[in-house]
Amino acid sequence: MSSSFREALESGKFVVTAEAGPPKGTDISTLLHDLDLMKGKVDAINVTDNQSAVMRICSLAICKIVLDKGMEPILQMTCRDRNRIGLQSDLLGADVLGIKNVLCMTGDHVLAGDHKGAKPVYDVESVQLLKVVDGLNTGKDMSGNELKGSTHFFQGAVVTPEATPPEPQMLKFQKKVAAGARFFQTQAIYDIDKFKEFMAFARKFPVKVLAGLVILKSAGMANFLNANVPGIRVPQELIDEIRGAEKGKALETGMNIAARHIRRLKEEKICDGVHIMAIGMEDKVPVIMEKAGLL
Amino acid sequence: MIITKKKDRKKLLESMGRYNRFFLLGCSECATLCGTGGQPEIEELKTELEAAGKTVTGGFVAKTGCQALGTKVELKQFKEALDQTDCVIVMSCGAGTQSAVEIFPEKAVYPSNDSLFLGNMTRLQMFDERCSLCGECVLDLTGGVCPVTACPKGILNGPCGGTKDGHCEISAEIPCAWVRIYDRMNKLGRLEEFGQTTLAAKDWSASIKPRKLNVREQKDKKSGGEEKKK
Repeated sequence: MSSSFREALESGKFVVTAEAGPPKGTDISTLLHDLDLMKGKVDAINVTDNQSAVMRICSLAICKIVLDKGMEPILQMTCRDRNRIGLQSDLLGADVLGIKNVLCMTGDHVLAGDHKGAKPVYDVESVQLLKVVDGLNTGKDMSGNELKGSTHFFQGAVVTPEATPPEPQMLKFQKKVAAGARFFQTQAIYDIDKFKEFMAFARKFPVKVLAGLVILKSAGMANFLNANVPGIRVPQELIDEIRGAEKGKALETGMNIAARHIRRLKEEKICDGVHIMAIGMEDKVPVIMEKAGLL
Repeated sequence: MIITKKKDRKKLLESMGRYNRFFLLGCSECATLCGTGGQPEIEELKTELEAAGKTVTGGFVAKTGCQALGTKVELKQFKEALDQTDCVIVMSCGAGTQSAVEIFPEKAVYPSNDSLFLGNMTRLQMFDERCSLCGECVLDLTGGVCPVTACPKGILNGPCGGTKDGHCEISAEIPCAWVRIYDRMNKLGRLEEFGQTTLAAKDWSASIKPRKLNVREQKDKKSGGEEKKK
Protein backbone atom coordinates (compact mmCIF):
# COMPACT_ATOMS: atom_id res chain seq x y z
CA MET A 1 0.00 0.00 0.00
CA SER A 2 1.46 3.37 -0.87
CA SER A 3 1.47 6.46 1.27
CA SER A 4 -1.97 8.04 1.66
CA PHE A 5 -0.16 11.34 2.30
CA ARG A 6 1.54 11.01 -1.06
CA GLU A 7 -1.75 10.15 -2.74
CA ALA A 8 -3.40 13.19 -1.19
CA LEU A 9 -0.58 15.44 -2.45
CA GLU A 10 -0.64 13.91 -5.91
CA SER A 11 -4.42 14.22 -6.14
CA GLY A 12 -4.02 17.98 -6.00
CA LYS A 13 -5.90 18.24 -2.71
CA PHE A 14 -4.82 21.02 -0.34
CA VAL A 15 -3.05 18.86 2.21
CA VAL A 16 -2.80 19.45 5.95
CA THR A 17 -0.17 17.91 8.18
CA ALA A 18 0.27 18.57 11.87
CA GLU A 19 3.01 17.87 14.34
CA ALA A 20 3.01 15.53 17.30
CA GLY A 21 5.90 15.97 19.71
CA PRO A 22 6.68 12.80 21.66
CA PRO A 23 6.73 13.48 25.41
CA LYS A 24 9.67 13.24 27.76
CA GLY A 25 8.72 10.18 29.75
CA THR A 26 6.46 7.23 29.15
CA ASP A 27 3.10 8.88 29.87
CA ILE A 28 1.60 9.28 26.40
CA SER A 29 -1.98 9.99 27.47
CA THR A 30 -1.99 13.61 26.24
CA LEU A 31 -0.44 12.59 22.94
CA LEU A 32 -3.08 9.88 22.43
CA HIS A 33 -5.83 12.38 23.24
CA ASP A 34 -4.43 14.93 20.75
CA LEU A 35 -4.14 12.26 18.06
CA ASP A 36 -7.81 11.37 18.59
CA LEU A 37 -8.79 15.02 18.11
CA MET A 38 -6.85 15.25 14.83
CA LYS A 39 -7.85 11.84 13.44
CA GLY A 40 -9.80 12.05 10.19
CA LYS A 41 -8.99 15.75 9.87
CA VAL A 42 -5.31 16.00 8.99
CA ASP A 43 -3.71 14.03 6.17
CA ALA A 44 -0.60 13.07 8.10
CA ILE A 45 1.13 13.56 11.42
CA ASN A 46 4.79 14.50 11.63
CA VAL A 47 6.45 12.86 14.60
CA THR A 48 9.43 14.92 15.69
CA ASP A 49 12.83 13.39 16.42
CA ASN A 50 14.05 14.62 19.80
CA GLN A 51 13.10 18.13 18.74
CA SER A 52 15.38 20.97 19.83
CA ALA A 53 17.82 18.22 20.84
CA VAL A 54 15.73 17.57 23.96
CA MET A 55 15.67 13.85 24.77
CA ARG A 56 12.20 12.31 24.45
CA ILE A 57 10.47 9.13 23.21
CA CYS A 58 11.88 8.15 19.83
CA SER A 59 10.05 9.17 16.69
CA LEU A 60 9.87 5.58 15.41
CA ALA A 61 7.86 4.30 18.39
CA ILE A 62 5.36 7.15 18.24
CA CYS A 63 5.00 6.72 14.46
CA LYS A 64 3.94 3.12 15.14
CA ILE A 65 1.38 4.37 17.65
CA VAL A 66 0.08 6.86 15.03
CA LEU A 67 -0.23 3.97 12.57
CA ASP A 68 -2.08 1.84 15.11
CA LYS A 69 -4.56 4.72 15.48
CA GLY A 70 -5.25 4.37 11.75
CA MET A 71 -3.47 7.62 10.95
CA GLU A 72 -0.61 8.38 8.57
CA PRO A 73 2.73 9.20 10.20
CA ILE A 74 5.67 11.14 8.77
CA LEU A 75 8.85 9.93 10.45
CA GLN A 76 11.14 12.85 11.16
CA MET A 77 14.74 11.71 11.09
CA THR A 78 17.68 13.79 12.15
CA CYS A 79 21.36 12.98 11.74
CA ARG A 80 22.35 14.30 15.16
CA ASP A 81 22.09 11.12 17.19
CA ARG A 82 22.78 8.19 14.89
CA ASN A 83 25.55 7.29 12.48
CA ARG A 84 24.88 5.84 9.03
CA ILE A 85 24.47 2.34 10.43
CA GLY A 86 21.86 3.47 12.96
CA LEU A 87 19.97 5.63 10.47
CA GLN A 88 19.73 2.93 7.82
CA SER A 89 18.80 0.31 10.37
CA ASP A 90 15.99 2.50 11.74
CA LEU A 91 14.78 3.22 8.20
CA LEU A 92 14.54 -0.51 7.43
CA GLY A 93 12.72 -0.96 10.73
CA ALA A 94 10.32 1.89 9.89
CA ASP A 95 9.51 0.29 6.57
CA VAL A 96 8.59 -3.08 8.05
CA LEU A 97 6.38 -1.32 10.61
CA GLY A 98 4.47 0.20 7.69
CA ILE A 99 5.78 3.76 7.94
CA LYS A 100 5.69 5.26 4.45
CA ASN A 101 6.90 8.84 4.85
CA VAL A 102 10.19 10.15 6.10
CA LEU A 103 11.34 13.73 6.58
CA CYS A 104 15.13 14.03 6.40
CA MET A 105 16.82 16.70 8.48
CA THR A 106 20.28 17.42 9.82
CA GLY A 107 18.85 18.24 13.26
CA ASP A 108 19.26 20.95 15.89
CA HIS A 109 22.65 20.94 17.54
CA VAL A 110 23.02 19.19 20.89
CA LEU A 111 23.89 22.57 22.41
CA ALA A 112 20.24 23.62 21.85
CA GLY A 113 18.98 20.78 24.02
CA ASP A 114 19.08 19.29 27.50
CA HIS A 115 22.11 17.01 27.11
CA LYS A 116 24.73 19.57 26.15
CA GLY A 117 27.62 17.21 26.90
CA ALA A 118 26.40 14.66 24.33
CA LYS A 119 28.61 13.82 21.37
CA PRO A 120 26.95 15.20 18.22
CA VAL A 121 27.07 12.57 15.46
CA TYR A 122 26.36 14.18 12.05
CA ASP A 123 28.02 11.26 10.28
CA VAL A 124 25.80 12.25 7.34
CA GLU A 125 23.56 15.31 6.89
CA SER A 126 20.17 16.06 5.34
CA VAL A 127 21.18 16.02 1.66
CA GLN A 128 23.14 12.82 2.11
CA LEU A 129 20.32 11.25 4.15
CA LEU A 130 17.91 11.91 1.28
CA LYS A 131 20.30 10.01 -0.97
CA VAL A 132 20.46 7.19 1.54
CA VAL A 133 16.64 6.90 1.52
CA ASP A 134 16.66 6.93 -2.27
CA GLY A 135 19.23 4.15 -2.21
CA LEU A 136 17.24 2.02 0.24
CA ASN A 137 14.15 2.54 -1.93
CA THR A 138 16.06 1.08 -4.87
CA GLY A 139 17.42 -1.83 -2.87
CA LYS A 140 20.93 -0.67 -1.97
CA ASP A 141 22.47 0.41 1.30
CA MET A 142 24.98 3.23 1.59
CA SER A 143 27.91 0.92 0.94
CA GLY A 144 26.25 -0.39 -2.22
CA ASN A 145 25.26 -3.71 -0.66
CA GLU A 146 22.14 -5.38 -2.04
CA LEU A 147 19.14 -5.38 0.32
CA LYS A 148 16.86 -8.37 0.69
CA GLY A 149 13.73 -6.30 0.17
CA SER A 150 13.87 -2.57 -0.44
CA THR A 151 12.05 0.24 1.39
CA HIS A 152 9.05 2.15 0.07
CA PHE A 153 9.49 5.65 1.38
CA PHE A 154 8.01 8.91 0.19
CA GLN A 155 10.82 11.17 1.32
CA GLY A 156 10.79 14.84 2.10
CA ALA A 157 12.95 17.60 3.44
CA VAL A 158 12.72 21.00 5.07
CA VAL A 159 13.56 24.47 3.81
CA THR A 160 13.73 27.86 5.49
CA PRO A 161 12.29 30.42 3.04
CA GLU A 162 13.20 33.33 5.34
CA ALA A 163 16.82 32.31 5.92
CA THR A 164 19.28 35.20 5.91
CA PRO A 165 21.02 35.34 3.52
CA PRO A 166 18.58 33.38 1.30
CA GLU A 167 20.85 32.44 -1.64
CA PRO A 168 22.86 29.60 -0.03
CA GLN A 169 19.61 28.20 1.42
CA MET A 170 18.02 28.13 -2.05
CA LEU A 171 21.03 26.32 -3.50
CA LYS A 172 20.67 23.77 -0.74
CA PHE A 173 16.99 23.41 -1.60
CA GLN A 174 18.07 22.51 -5.14
CA LYS A 175 20.54 19.97 -3.80
CA LYS A 176 17.78 18.38 -1.75
CA VAL A 177 15.58 18.12 -4.83
CA ALA A 178 18.45 16.55 -6.75
CA ALA A 179 19.04 14.14 -3.84
CA GLY A 180 15.49 12.83 -4.13
CA ALA A 181 13.25 15.01 -1.94
CA ARG A 182 9.66 14.65 -3.11
CA PHE A 183 8.04 17.08 -0.74
CA PHE A 184 9.10 19.99 1.46
CA GLN A 185 7.72 21.26 4.74
CA THR A 186 8.93 24.76 5.45
CA GLN A 187 10.07 26.54 8.58
CA ALA A 188 7.26 28.72 9.95
CA ILE A 189 6.29 31.54 7.61
CA TYR A 190 4.20 34.60 8.49
CA ASP A 191 4.68 36.89 5.51
CA ILE A 192 2.57 35.43 2.69
CA ASP A 193 3.73 37.93 0.05
CA LYS A 194 7.34 37.03 0.81
CA PHE A 195 6.43 33.33 0.77
CA LYS A 196 4.91 33.78 -2.69
CA GLU A 197 8.32 34.92 -3.92
CA PHE A 198 9.87 31.74 -2.51
CA MET A 199 7.15 29.65 -4.15
CA ALA A 200 7.79 31.28 -7.52
CA PHE A 201 11.27 29.79 -7.20
CA ALA A 202 10.19 26.44 -5.71
CA ARG A 203 7.57 25.89 -8.43
CA LYS A 204 10.38 25.40 -10.94
CA PHE A 205 11.03 22.02 -9.35
CA PRO A 206 8.92 18.84 -9.37
CA VAL A 207 8.24 18.84 -5.62
CA LYS A 208 5.26 19.48 -3.36
CA VAL A 209 5.53 22.24 -0.80
CA LEU A 210 3.67 22.54 2.50
CA ALA A 211 3.91 25.92 4.19
CA GLY A 212 4.91 25.72 7.86
CA LEU A 213 2.67 27.52 10.34
CA VAL A 214 3.33 28.07 14.01
CA ILE A 215 0.36 29.42 15.99
CA LEU A 216 1.15 32.68 17.76
CA LYS A 217 -0.11 32.64 21.36
CA SER A 218 0.86 36.18 22.22
CA ALA A 219 2.80 39.23 21.08
CA GLY A 220 5.52 38.13 23.49
CA MET A 221 5.84 34.80 21.72
CA ALA A 222 6.12 36.56 18.35
CA ASN A 223 8.89 38.77 19.69
CA PHE A 224 10.61 35.74 21.16
CA LEU A 225 10.50 33.94 17.79
CA ASN A 226 11.92 36.98 16.02
CA ALA A 227 14.74 37.33 18.51
CA ASN A 228 15.65 33.69 19.03
CA VAL A 229 14.59 31.41 16.22
CA PRO A 230 16.71 31.68 13.08
CA GLY A 231 14.67 31.74 9.89
CA ILE A 232 11.44 32.93 11.53
CA ARG A 233 10.29 36.50 10.98
CA VAL A 234 6.94 37.65 12.29
CA PRO A 235 6.02 40.97 10.61
CA GLN A 236 5.32 43.88 12.96
CA GLU A 237 1.72 44.28 11.75
CA LEU A 238 0.86 40.78 12.99
CA ILE A 239 2.47 41.52 16.36
CA ASP A 240 0.42 44.73 16.53
CA GLU A 241 -2.72 42.82 15.61
CA ILE A 242 -2.25 40.43 18.53
CA ARG A 243 -1.26 43.23 20.89
CA GLY A 244 -4.39 45.12 19.89
CA ALA A 245 -6.66 42.18 20.68
CA GLU A 246 -9.08 42.34 23.62
CA LYS A 247 -7.78 41.02 26.92
CA GLY A 248 -7.68 37.21 26.89
CA LYS A 249 -8.12 37.05 23.12
CA ALA A 250 -4.43 36.90 22.08
CA LEU A 251 -4.47 33.16 21.35
CA GLU A 252 -7.73 33.45 19.43
CA THR A 253 -6.23 36.26 17.36
CA GLY A 254 -3.18 34.08 16.71
CA MET A 255 -5.44 31.25 15.57
CA ASN A 256 -7.39 33.64 13.35
CA ILE A 257 -4.15 34.78 11.73
CA ALA A 258 -3.17 31.14 11.04
CA ALA A 259 -6.63 30.40 9.61
CA ARG A 260 -6.51 33.54 7.44
CA HIS A 261 -3.09 32.53 6.10
CA ILE A 262 -4.31 29.00 5.34
CA ARG A 263 -7.32 30.38 3.45
CA ARG A 264 -5.13 32.63 1.34
CA LEU A 265 -2.52 29.94 0.64
CA LYS A 266 -5.31 27.62 -0.50
CA GLU A 267 -7.45 30.11 -2.44
CA GLU A 268 -4.53 31.62 -4.33
CA LYS A 269 -3.06 28.12 -4.86
CA ILE A 270 0.26 29.40 -3.52
CA CYS A 271 1.44 26.01 -2.28
CA ASP A 272 0.26 22.41 -1.95
CA GLY A 273 -0.78 22.44 1.67
CA VAL A 274 0.15 23.50 5.16
CA HIS A 275 2.09 21.98 8.03
CA ILE A 276 0.69 23.17 11.35
CA MET A 277 3.16 23.16 14.23
CA ALA A 278 0.99 23.72 17.29
CA ILE A 279 3.82 23.15 19.81
CA GLY A 280 1.82 21.90 22.78
CA MET A 281 -1.57 23.13 21.50
CA GLU A 282 -2.35 20.20 19.22
CA ASP A 283 -5.96 20.31 20.40
CA LYS A 284 -6.27 23.66 18.59
CA VAL A 285 -5.40 22.18 15.18
CA PRO A 286 -9.01 21.15 14.34
CA VAL A 287 -10.23 24.58 15.53
CA ILE A 288 -7.88 26.35 13.15
CA MET A 289 -8.82 24.03 10.32
CA GLU A 290 -12.46 24.81 10.93
CA LYS A 291 -11.79 28.54 10.99
CA ALA A 292 -9.89 28.14 7.70
CA GLY A 293 -12.87 26.40 6.12
CA LEU A 294 -11.07 23.08 5.74
CA LEU A 295 -13.53 21.03 7.83
CA MET B 1 49.99 24.46 15.84
CA ILE B 2 48.60 22.55 18.82
CA ILE B 3 46.63 24.87 21.08
CA THR B 4 46.92 24.26 24.80
CA LYS B 5 45.58 25.91 27.91
CA LYS B 6 46.78 25.71 31.46
CA LYS B 7 44.99 23.26 33.71
CA ASP B 8 43.38 24.66 36.83
CA ARG B 9 46.37 25.15 39.13
CA LYS B 10 44.65 24.03 42.32
CA LYS B 11 43.52 20.77 40.73
CA LEU B 12 46.95 20.27 39.19
CA LEU B 13 48.68 20.60 42.55
CA GLU B 14 46.14 18.27 44.14
CA SER B 15 46.62 15.64 41.45
CA MET B 16 50.40 15.68 42.05
CA GLY B 17 50.08 15.59 45.82
CA ARG B 18 51.96 12.32 46.24
CA TYR B 19 55.14 13.69 44.57
CA ASN B 20 57.62 16.20 46.00
CA ARG B 21 60.50 16.76 43.59
CA PHE B 22 59.68 18.05 40.15
CA PHE B 23 61.39 18.78 36.86
CA LEU B 24 59.52 21.19 34.54
CA LEU B 25 59.69 20.54 30.82
CA GLY B 26 58.39 23.20 28.43
CA CYS B 27 58.46 23.41 24.64
CA SER B 28 59.71 26.20 22.39
CA GLU B 29 57.11 25.65 19.70
CA CYS B 30 53.32 25.72 20.12
CA ALA B 31 53.25 25.81 23.93
CA THR B 32 55.55 28.84 24.02
CA LEU B 33 53.28 30.69 21.56
CA CYS B 34 50.24 29.68 23.59
CA GLY B 35 51.84 31.01 26.75
CA THR B 36 51.60 27.62 28.43
CA GLY B 37 55.10 26.16 28.22
CA GLY B 38 57.78 28.80 27.68
CA GLN B 39 60.45 30.04 30.11
CA PRO B 40 58.10 32.52 31.89
CA GLU B 41 55.53 29.79 32.53
CA ILE B 42 58.23 27.47 33.87
CA GLU B 43 59.32 30.21 36.32
CA GLU B 44 55.70 30.82 37.30
CA LEU B 45 54.94 27.16 38.01
CA LYS B 46 58.25 26.80 39.88
CA THR B 47 57.24 29.64 42.20
CA GLU B 48 53.80 28.12 42.76
CA LEU B 49 55.22 24.66 43.48
CA GLU B 50 57.77 26.07 45.90
CA ALA B 51 55.07 28.07 47.64
CA ALA B 52 53.22 24.77 48.10
CA GLY B 53 56.30 23.32 49.81
CA LYS B 54 57.55 21.31 46.84
CA THR B 55 61.04 21.17 45.38
CA VAL B 56 61.82 21.96 41.76
CA THR B 57 65.08 20.26 40.75
CA GLY B 58 65.23 21.94 37.36
CA GLY B 59 63.44 23.16 34.28
CA PHE B 60 64.03 23.34 30.53
CA VAL B 61 62.29 24.49 27.38
CA ALA B 62 62.79 21.70 24.85
CA LYS B 63 63.13 22.74 21.23
CA THR B 64 60.38 20.42 19.96
CA GLY B 65 58.73 18.50 22.76
CA CYS B 66 56.85 16.10 20.50
CA GLN B 67 60.15 14.91 19.06
CA ALA B 68 61.29 12.38 21.66
CA LEU B 69 64.74 11.61 20.28
CA GLY B 70 65.86 15.23 20.04
CA THR B 71 64.38 16.08 23.44
CA LYS B 72 66.17 13.14 25.03
CA VAL B 73 69.52 14.40 23.69
CA GLU B 74 68.77 17.94 24.91
CA LEU B 75 67.93 16.64 28.39
CA LYS B 76 71.27 14.85 28.87
CA GLN B 77 72.75 18.03 30.39
CA PHE B 78 70.12 17.84 33.20
CA LYS B 79 70.95 14.28 34.25
CA GLU B 80 71.60 15.20 37.87
CA ALA B 81 68.44 17.26 38.28
CA LEU B 82 66.40 14.57 36.58
CA ASP B 83 67.84 11.82 38.78
CA GLN B 84 66.62 13.73 41.84
CA THR B 85 63.11 14.15 40.38
CA ASP B 86 60.18 11.91 41.16
CA CYS B 87 57.82 13.58 38.67
CA VAL B 88 58.33 15.38 35.37
CA ILE B 89 55.70 18.03 34.66
CA VAL B 90 55.29 18.52 30.94
CA MET B 91 54.18 22.01 30.00
CA SER B 92 53.33 21.41 26.34
CA CYS B 93 50.62 19.30 24.67
CA GLY B 94 49.47 15.70 25.07
CA ALA B 95 51.97 14.68 22.42
CA GLY B 96 54.83 16.34 24.30
CA THR B 97 53.70 14.67 27.51
CA GLN B 98 53.80 11.27 25.87
CA SER B 99 57.26 11.94 24.40
CA ALA B 100 58.36 12.46 28.01
CA VAL B 101 56.72 9.18 29.01
CA GLU B 102 58.88 7.54 26.34
CA ILE B 103 62.01 9.31 27.61
CA PHE B 104 61.29 8.55 31.28
CA PRO B 105 59.78 5.07 31.36
CA GLU B 106 60.37 4.74 35.12
CA LYS B 107 59.19 8.19 36.22
CA ALA B 108 55.83 9.79 36.78
CA VAL B 109 54.98 12.27 33.99
CA TYR B 110 52.14 14.78 34.49
CA PRO B 111 50.65 17.27 32.02
CA SER B 112 50.20 20.86 33.20
CA ASN B 113 48.03 21.73 30.19
CA ASP B 114 44.89 20.58 28.41
CA SER B 115 45.38 20.11 24.65
CA LEU B 116 42.56 21.70 22.70
CA PHE B 117 42.87 21.78 18.93
CA LEU B 118 44.96 22.34 15.85
CA GLY B 119 44.87 26.11 15.62
CA ASN B 120 45.68 29.08 13.46
CA MET B 121 47.17 32.03 15.31
CA THR B 122 45.04 35.06 14.42
CA ARG B 123 46.79 37.49 16.75
CA LEU B 124 49.31 37.10 19.53
CA GLN B 125 47.93 34.34 21.81
CA MET B 126 44.60 34.22 19.96
CA PHE B 127 43.76 31.04 18.09
CA ASP B 128 41.06 29.67 15.79
CA GLU B 129 40.33 26.09 14.87
CA ARG B 130 40.22 25.72 11.10
CA CYS B 131 41.29 22.15 10.41
CA SER B 132 40.01 18.96 12.05
CA LEU B 133 42.69 16.65 10.61
CA CYS B 134 39.88 14.52 9.14
CA GLY B 135 42.25 12.72 6.79
CA GLU B 136 40.28 13.52 3.62
CA CYS B 137 40.63 17.21 2.69
CA VAL B 138 37.68 18.86 0.92
CA LEU B 139 39.05 22.42 0.78
CA ASP B 140 39.40 22.18 -3.01
CA LEU B 141 35.62 21.79 -3.25
CA THR B 142 34.61 24.35 -0.65
CA GLY B 143 36.47 27.47 -1.67
CA GLY B 144 39.18 26.89 0.90
CA VAL B 145 36.88 27.11 3.93
CA CYS B 146 36.57 23.84 5.88
CA PRO B 147 32.93 22.93 6.63
CA VAL B 148 34.00 19.90 8.66
CA THR B 149 35.55 22.31 11.16
CA ALA B 150 33.85 25.69 10.68
CA CYS B 151 30.31 24.25 10.81
CA PRO B 152 29.44 22.81 14.26
CA LYS B 153 27.44 20.12 12.47
CA GLY B 154 30.12 19.50 9.85
CA ILE B 155 27.51 19.82 7.10
CA LEU B 156 28.98 19.21 3.65
CA ASN B 157 26.24 20.51 1.39
CA GLY B 158 25.07 23.96 2.40
CA PRO B 159 23.73 25.84 5.40
CA CYS B 160 21.18 24.39 7.79
CA GLY B 161 18.00 26.26 8.65
CA GLY B 162 19.75 27.83 11.61
CA THR B 163 21.63 30.57 9.73
CA LYS B 164 20.68 33.97 11.03
CA ASP B 165 22.13 37.08 9.40
CA GLY B 166 24.98 34.90 8.19
CA HIS B 167 25.72 33.52 11.64
CA CYS B 168 25.38 30.14 13.30
CA GLU B 169 22.38 29.01 15.33
CA ILE B 170 24.58 27.90 18.19
CA SER B 171 26.37 31.22 18.58
CA ALA B 172 26.06 34.62 16.96
CA GLU B 173 29.85 34.80 17.27
CA ILE B 174 30.33 32.00 14.75
CA PRO B 175 29.97 33.07 11.11
CA CYS B 176 28.02 30.44 9.15
CA ALA B 177 30.59 28.26 7.36
CA TRP B 178 28.30 27.83 4.37
CA VAL B 179 27.62 31.53 3.98
CA ARG B 180 31.41 32.01 3.95
CA ILE B 181 31.80 29.21 1.42
CA TYR B 182 29.00 30.68 -0.71
CA ASP B 183 30.71 34.09 -0.68
CA ARG B 184 34.06 32.58 -1.60
CA MET B 185 32.63 30.47 -4.41
CA ASN B 186 30.77 33.54 -5.65
CA LYS B 187 34.00 35.57 -5.73
CA LEU B 188 35.77 32.72 -7.53
CA GLY B 189 32.96 32.54 -10.11
CA ARG B 190 32.23 28.96 -9.08
CA LEU B 191 28.67 29.27 -7.76
CA GLU B 192 27.29 26.91 -10.34
CA GLU B 193 29.61 24.21 -9.08
CA PHE B 194 28.51 24.96 -5.50
CA GLY B 195 24.89 24.35 -6.46
CA GLN B 196 25.48 21.26 -8.53
CA THR B 197 28.05 19.34 -6.53
CA THR B 198 26.71 17.15 -3.77
CA LEU B 199 29.50 16.03 -1.52
CA ALA B 200 29.18 12.39 -0.50
CA ALA B 201 29.29 11.37 3.14
CA LYS B 202 32.85 11.38 4.40
CA ASP B 203 34.92 8.26 4.73
CA TRP B 204 35.64 8.46 8.43
CA SER B 205 37.90 5.44 8.23
CA ALA B 206 40.56 7.98 7.24
CA SER B 207 40.50 9.27 10.80
CA ILE B 208 40.27 6.11 12.86
CA LYS B 209 42.61 6.32 15.82
CA PRO B 210 45.43 5.77 16.48
CA ARG B 211 46.79 6.95 13.16
CA LYS B 212 50.36 6.30 12.04
CA LEU B 213 52.36 7.50 9.07
CA ASN B 214 55.73 6.34 7.87
CA VAL B 215 56.94 8.39 4.94
CA ARG B 216 60.45 7.09 5.41
CA GLU B 217 59.59 3.55 4.35
CA GLN B 218 58.30 4.81 1.01
CA LYS B 219 61.41 6.95 0.47
CA ASP B 220 63.69 4.04 1.43
CA LYS B 221 61.96 1.81 -1.09
CA LYS B 222 62.23 4.49 -3.77
CA SER B 223 65.94 5.17 -3.25
CA GLY B 224 66.56 1.41 -3.00
CA GLY B 225 64.98 1.02 -6.40
CA GLU B 226 67.16 3.74 -7.88
CA GLU B 227 70.28 2.12 -6.55
CA LYS B 228 69.34 -1.11 -8.22
CA LYS B 229 68.96 0.68 -11.53
CA LYS B 230 72.45 2.07 -11.19
